[in-house]
Amino acid sequence: MKRYVLGVDFGSTTAKTVILDLKGNIVSHSVAHMGAVSGDGVKASMKQALDQVGLTQADMGRTVSTGYGRRMLDEADKNYTEITCHARGAVSMVPGARLVIDIGGQDSKVISVDSNGLVAQFAMNDRCAAGTGKFLEVLARAVEIDLEELGATALGAKEKLKISSMCATFAETEVISLLAEGHPKTDVLGAVHAAIAARTLGLVGRVGKVGPVVMTGGVARNPAAVHYIQEALGMPLILPERPQIAGALGAALIGLDDYRKEHRHVISEEEDMAHEAQMAEDKACIPGCRGVPELAVDPREKQPAPRPGGLKTTLASLQNPT
Amino acid sequence: MNIAVQPTNTKKANKLASTRIAGKLVNEYWEMVWRAKEEGKLICWYEGSAINPFLEAADICWVHGEAYSAMLAARHQEVKAQQVAEERGYMRELCSYARTHLGCAVSNQRLRGDGTGAAVPDEDDLTWKLPAPDMIISAYAYCSTGQQWDEMTSRVFGKKVPIFNVSIPWIWGAKPDAAYLQGQEWEETSDYVAKQLNDMVAFIEEQTGKPYPWDRLYELMADIKRASELRLEAMDLCTAQPAPASFFDWVVSIAPINNLPVAGVKDYFETVLAEVKQRVATGEGAVPDEKYRLFFDGIMNWNKVGWLANKFANYDAAVIAGRYTHMAFWQEPKLIDPNAPLRGMAQNYLICPNNHASPILIKLIMDLCRKFQVDGMVIHASRTCRAFTNPQFMIAETAQRELGIPSSMFEGDVTDESFYKDEVLNSRVEAMLEAIESRRMAGAA
Repeated sequence: MKRYVLGVDFGSTTAKTVILDLKGNIVSHSVAHMGAVSGDGVKASMKQALDQVGLTQADMGRTVSTGYGRRMLDEADKNYTEITCHARGAVSMVPGARLVIDIGGQDSKVISVDSNGLVAQFAMNDRCAAGTGKFLEVLARAVEIDLEELGATALGAKEKLKISSMCATFAETEVISLLAEGHPKTDVLGAVHAAIAARTLGLVGRVGKVGPVVMTGGVARNPAAVHYIQEALGMPLILPERPQIAGALGAALIGLDDYRKEHRHVISEEEDMAHEAQMAEDKACIPGCRGVPELAVDPREKQPAPRPGGLKTTLASLQNPT
Repeated sequence: MNIAVQPTNTKKANKLASTRIAGKLVNEYWEMVWRAKEEGKLICWYEGSAINPFLEAADICWVHGEAYSAMLAARHQEVKAQQVAEERGYMRELCSYARTHLGCAVSNQRLRGDGTGAAVPDEDDLTWKLPAPDMIISAYAYCSTGQQWDEMTSRVFGKKVPIFNVSIPWIWGAKPDAAYLQGQEWEETSDYVAKQLNDMVAFIEEQTGKPYPWDRLYELMADIKRASELRLEAMDLCTAQPAPASFFDWVVSIAPINNLPVAGVKDYFETVLAEVKQRVATGEGAVPDEKYRLFFDGIMNWNKVGWLANKFANYDAAVIAGRYTHMAFWQEPKLIDPNAPLRGMAQNYLICPNNHASPILIKLIMDLCRKFQVDGMVIHASRTCRAFTNPQFMIAETAQRELGIPSSMFEGDVTDESFYKDEVLNSRVEAMLEAIESRRMAGAA
């Protein structure tokens, strides 16, 4: 029996990997930036996660993939949609969450989760990269700011401007136009993030606003996106420590369920050895037997006295008839 | 937990064999249309409501705009007509039924009319073959594009074609006694449309120069009423599990009930009903392995009928009913009195599903979902038919709240394939089926 399972989120711009032990603890994770749905990128992410803990793919009991490239991964035993995996991962990170807002590279999705943690309803961006990480990436380039600094800069916005188009290309035109009018980058970027928040609110409206709300995906690391979405939503967003790996974690957890179910009658090596030790102590001859009390060594006595009428006394009388 | 929904590529929809007859009837009908001019027939172009029995009775060749566009899309010959329309200035966001049909009108004018197009028309090119109209009748419920489409068609033909407009009002459902087929508003709008149909007959008489043959209309409507009853009976049998026929079989059966010559339509639905009964008796399903039952909300992607039928079969999902198929096309035959059909015809035009106020529309959809015991809802948001798309968020929300079923929405279009993205549909449908599966497992645990 193997001791680990692996989940991979083969996304549009990043690949995320999570390795779990059989108790569901994260033993390793990685995030690799890559070209669009890159096979090399996802392999690099998996290798990084495996190398961190000195494991190989052969050590994995299950490998489950999700994301755009989920069907392209040869190593995957099964694949599931991002909706299922993100919901599972997010609820695992924030138990009790009822709404998951996930904004990734090319997808933005809102998932409502029932009280059992199961997907109740979901809505996704329909047509294009409107309101996604790609949208931010394009606009970061337009204002010549590093993507990582985009959110912090946008938080400095003072004047409320408006970006009306959610098409990344047309929004870029609007941004350039606003900059040309002399508006500072901070205000323009504030408007960009407010536009994303408005778009997200539309998706929330489709599945129903209910809390607690957890935000996952790469854009959850952008403080301005979080700020504007919270403001639009009128509710706090709970941010997991590692929002980007929610999908991979969900995939790994589903893989873990599957592996546990398949091996529910199989005893792990660890458990088996524990039994052995117990058996030796109990002087039992079959696993699970607690031993015969009369034969057990009482740690308080070097030479335990046979109990009158007990098994040991009976055996002794048979071996040494008087 | 194993909720993975992995489509195969090996399964095919088990289409009703009898629907092949529909294909033959459709071909024969369009052949008849293409030679109508040569046979000296008057041609009427119309969109929207099924006024064709009025025209058929008067021996006028009828051309339904949406039907022609749908036929082109089903044959994957729609792109050229759409390009011609765009060249003429009709933008991509315009209803693609209208855009395709207008492209055909423009092609017709170039090749048959003003001669500014190619010198020798290609016989296999169906964009130019539609015979030009001698009259246009506009009788559109709910669709704001409809009347403008007719007006644009008239302009393409130099504003020389007489137009008659039948105004079919929106059923607001705002009066206290308003309900499906009930209430003061319902009675008043029925009278209002019936009166206009009488006026339309007078317009037809003007065009033909002959008294209107009412007895012929009565005969046709008796057959349509019966065909409709047979169709609904066959649809009702799809409550069986597995469902013997799918939404896609009923899509293929729209043309016979909606716009084909009436002779043969009754026979067609008798054959369909017999096959459906046979399937119920033997337990034969519309998909090889029915695991999920779905409702389809939205108008059809005509260039994807077979594609989608097979796609859902590969997901073991039987798409059983839909707003488009189950709530339109002479769907209330009981309202039709063959000896005095006018008011009943008006009422059937009025209850085009999108013409209802949303509460009535949504209630009818929820009733269908309950009746066919569906597990989920696939929603096709048609990019260029916003009238059909408008209430879809409310429909999805109600399905979740009242029935506890998930839905998945994908964007596409009636005849413009460029709006359809396969991966988007795959991801959404798989996610919905995974949600259904996980609930089943949680319920079983």
